Amino acid sequence: MHEPHQHITRPVYDTQLFGARRLYYRYPDKTLALSDINIDIAEGERIALVGQNGSGKTTLVKQLCGLLSPSSGEVFYKEKPLEGEHLEKSRLKIGMLFQDPDDQLFGHTLLEDTAFGPRNQGLSRQDADHAALDALKRVSLIDKAYKAPHNLSFGQKKRAALAGLLAMQPDVLFLDEPTANLDPRQEQVFLDLLKDYSGTLICISHDLIFLYELCNRAVVLDKGRIHHDYTMSELVSQKQSLRMHGLDFSFRLVINDSIPEKTNTTLKSSSLEIINNNQLVAFRDYQYRYPDGTLALSNIDFTICENEKISIVGENGAGKTTLLSCLLGLLEGNGDFYFAGTLVKPRQRKALWQQIGMVFQDCADQLFCPSVKEEIEFGLVELGCSRTESEKRIKEVLALVHMEGYEERVPLHLSGGERKRLALACVLAMNPKLLILDEPTAGLDPQGEELLLSILSNLDATLLLVSHDIFFIRELTKRTIVMHKGRIIEDMPIKAFLEDERLGSLNGLSYSYRDKSSSTIRRLQHEHEHRHIHKHLHIQPQIHADTAHFDLYEHTHDHSHHFTHSHPGEEKEHDHAPHRYHDHNHPEHDGENNS
Amino acid sequence: MHISDGVLPISVTVGGYIAATALTAWSAHRSNSRDLPKLAVVTAAFFVASLIHIPFGPTSVHLLIPGITGALLGPSAFLSIGLGLLLQSLLFQFGGLTALGANTLMMGIPALICGWFFHKFKGDSMMRQTITGGLVGAGGTAMAAIILAALLFTGGEDFLGVAKIALAAHVPVIFIEGLISAFTIRFLARVKPELLELSFKDPAKDTHA
Amino acid sequence: MLDITNIKLPLWQLPVFVLIPLAVFALAVFFLKRFAYKRSIPTEERDWSVPPIADAIYDSVINRWDVRCKIVTILAFSFAIASLKHLTPALFAIGISSLVLLISRTSFTKALLRLLAIAGFISMFLIVMPFSVPVHSNDTVIIFGKMNWLVFNLRGLLLAATIAAKAVAITLLMEPLLSTAPLPVTLHGLSKLGVPEMAGQMVLLSYRYLHVFRHEARRMSSGMQVRGFRKHTNIQTLRAVANFLGMLLVRSFERTERVFDAMRARGYKGRFPEPAELHLKTSDLLITALWLAAGSALIIFDRIICQG
Repeated sequence: MHEPHQHITRPVYDTQLFGARRLYYRYPDKTLALSDINIDIAEGERIALVGQNGSGKTTLVKQLCGLLSPSSGEVFYKEKPLEGEHLEKSRLKIGMLFQDPDDQLFGHTLLEDTAFGPRNQGLSRQDADHAALDALKRVSLIDKAYKAPHNLSFGQKKRAALAGLLAMQPDVLFLDEPTANLDPRQEQVFLDLLKDYSGTLICISHDLIFLYELCNRAVVLDKGRIHHDYTMSELVSQKQSLRMHGLDFSFRLVINDSIPEKTNTTLKSSSLEIINNNQLVAFRDYQYRYPDGTLALSNIDFTICENEKISIVGENGAGKTTLLSCLLGLLEGNGDFYFAGTLVKPRQRKALWQQIGMVFQDCADQLFCPSVKEEIEFGLVELGCSRTESEKRIKEVLALVHMEGYEERVPLHLSGGERKRLALACVLAMNPKLLILDEPTAGLDPQGEELLLSILSNLDATLLLVSHDIFFIRELTKRTIVMHKGRIIEDMPIKAFLEDERLGSLNGLSYSYRDKSSSTIRRLQHEHEHRHIHKHLHIQPQIHADTAHFDLYEHTHDHSHHFTHSHPGEEKEHDHAPHRYHDHNHPEHDGENNS
Repeated sequence: MHISDGVLPISVTVGGYIAATALTAWSAHRSNSRDLPKLAVVTAAFFVASLIHIPFGPTSVHLLIPGITGALLGPSAFLSIGLGLLLQSLLFQFGGLTALGANTLMMGIPALICGWFFHKFKGDSMMRQTITGGLVGAGGTAMAAIILAALLFTGGEDFLGVAKIALAAHVPVIFIEGLISAFTIRFLARVKPELLELSFKDPAKDTHA
Repeated sequence: MLDITNIKLPLWQLPVFVLIPLAVFALAVFFLKRFAYKRSIPTEERDWSVPPIADAIYDSVINRWDVRCKIVTILAFSFAIASLKHLTPALFAIGISSLVLLISRTSFTKALLRLLAIAGFISMFLIVMPFSVPVHSNDTVIIFGKMNWLVFNLRGLLLAATIAAKAVAITLLMEPLLSTAPLPVTLHGLSKLGVPEMAGQMVLLSYRYLHVFRHEARRMSSGMQVRGFRKHTNIQTLRAVANFLGMLLVRSFERTERVFDAMRARGYKGRFPEPAELHLKTSDLLITALWLAAGSALIIFDRIICQG
């Protein structure tokens, strides 16, 4: 039995910035969102707020910024309760970066939007514009100051939203999934910006490697309670506790151990030859122009064979989405496009949907029915499946994505991971010859990612994966196409791609900080068997004659278990301190009864 | 269908402006003033919804959705519709700057009536909400068409023919809107029933409270 | 029936008089639409680090005109046009509007797009009214062959043409009114004229999120297409469109909560900061006076000279 604890081994800071005491929050529909939150945040801390989807991270952040008020308990900011006039004033010094920058950029132009905060702080128009321009300069968007937000790319919007906060010179920044949907280069830019920021940072993310790089303290939320509050290295090193909170990202680290085998560059040409046997998709000298005449794709030449697993990588705006739209028949370019051996003409183009399925990056774009069953049926009806056939297929695909019995559930009410799997099920039900996945891991928590990965790796279909996530690419695909500025610049086996450092720097796909962090974390996660006497708390039924109740019960005992802890270096001596706190299972208690 | 400039007699145009302004002010007053920015964002969505085209035989019709707007926004619907039409005449190519008042009345009054009707009769069961939704969808469009015809007829008997044709052109739309509204309300009742309660109404000014 | 002028034309001339102009008009609208659409797509990235004086590329008298005067004048003039009753002054009004369009140096393509957007509604009048207006004394009617029930009344055509001319004249003024200043400035002008400040802010917010929802709608519709959805005239389509609509609304209501939170988090307390201040010059008033005089002249021309 796993119990929350708040073991503090983090650096001590002088000034307290935030404090929460016995904070409870219930949603309007009475579900408990936060319970018994006690936390102190000191000036200058960098805190990672982690937990599964739905664990209450965003709600907690909203409490701390004063966007929600507690049902009971208190939140302090600078030693005063966060309410009334103090709240109004404090808000101007607390910045909150939302996950979707479109929520935050409500101004008509970037400058106007960025100046919104400073104007509310009471600055004159000139001073506010000055502050805004300064902030835009910091995020390198000064040349777009008078542009409307809807004309920016996603990465630019994200930075513009940050500029709107920086212009207010906040004491503290809250960040909600700051790196979601950013390509590696943009992610690096963002990371650098955040590292340059000198105030207090509180960051929600599922990306523990990113958090490891940015933060020094970790707060783990589970079902609305704080379960852990310790240093970042403690978080990443305690594998069992990570697993228990659905945060175990270690599966991402394991692969790094297997060093890719030696590859020879001749593989590239030979792999292209094999392809000619049973081509599923072939593009020959294909190009696409936007209506305004800009060339979005040019010299596209590539082939996908049946049962091949292939990935497309490239920076945001490299033309990946346009290429997918052409492949799906949503757009029509110039040049030859063969599907299953036949040239795709307008008539065939309209029927491509029967053969190609795609899971969109944002599930909300794909799920629009009031029930899971109708959702899957939608495509099947268009295919002309009989009722019995439909029922059979729905059962099959739901089993495949581990969602048996979900038929009558409402897609909108499912969790992020479930929605993703439902979108996959909808596509798989149609038996596509080619399955396309666009950034399948966006917004998923590590547990969701792991489940999706296991489903996808067992699939027997031709797969086209578009992603920035090098780990997924490595796990799922055998060949990689690298796109850059609307062209295919490389088409190579995955191993050669992973070894090619030149591509990383050219294409902004380099994750150097990730590799560094990963290996540090791996060292921290060193695991061995261990035995010592320790105290622990657990819940167990206590039966006294007729009455039975559950209570926390503390006792001391001794048994052997696995222990994950940090090693300073392979050879150096290190401490296996028995009193050190760590989590592990106590299986022998399950049968115990105190009466 | 919106009336363009130059069609209506000047007295109707000016009168339409005055009536629409008064109703907009009333609608804003009935909405929670704190929520006006939210209403603006939602108006954008209704605007996008009104751009949806439904094929009807060889041609297509676009949605007017006064019924759903009324059902979801209640008294705030009039403000939302006025804003949407202003936006349309300012930034998109559908003119009608002088006819703005009349156009707002044409869409806004049915929306207000639909909103009142829907909340009076929607009940608790999904079936009943669906049927009420369908009725307000069809009824809202029918009322809009009748007001359109009436406004055109203010130009004199010379406009009777045009008014009749405009009315006739809306008949298929009435059926389509009715069905779409019923299905949409059913969808919302299942997926997000709280939207069927009024989101922007000012509780302090609610006479029923 | 004495004072009705009857012109009898053989039946074969019906297509010549009615169908052919109609076809030519439809074709013209079709091609102009394609042309205008192509022209309206910006081809070059402008420099976004400098403030735009307006959406227009050039500076002009209208751009420098005080925005309050501009709104009042153009609105008043539009109402003056709307009150015209005869074709000749309406044609004069088109002349004045074209002149303003020329002076303001705004995009002709955009003006053309606005004209094309009203083409459908206006052509309904042009087609229906000649056949539908009741025959009065002093009317001239054309009867084709033996089809006595199909009366082409020239008075109806004149009436429709007047309406069309008025609509065109007002529509041509839209670009000079709206494209000669950035939208926030125009709306600020409105608020200085007594329209509540919040109204302008609501327009800006709606405009901003219109783009967001349009993109959302477009992505959702590709999501449906990829799963084989094609619109037809059947119940299935209506149900799918209703789901689409419902989802669009659900997403927008959810987004509006987040947007509002983001606004509050940045210190929004129910008021938006005021944009730039406006300064009224004598020359501004002079232009207004001049223009309104032209409007009054048009009405006098319409009421007195044409009536007489």
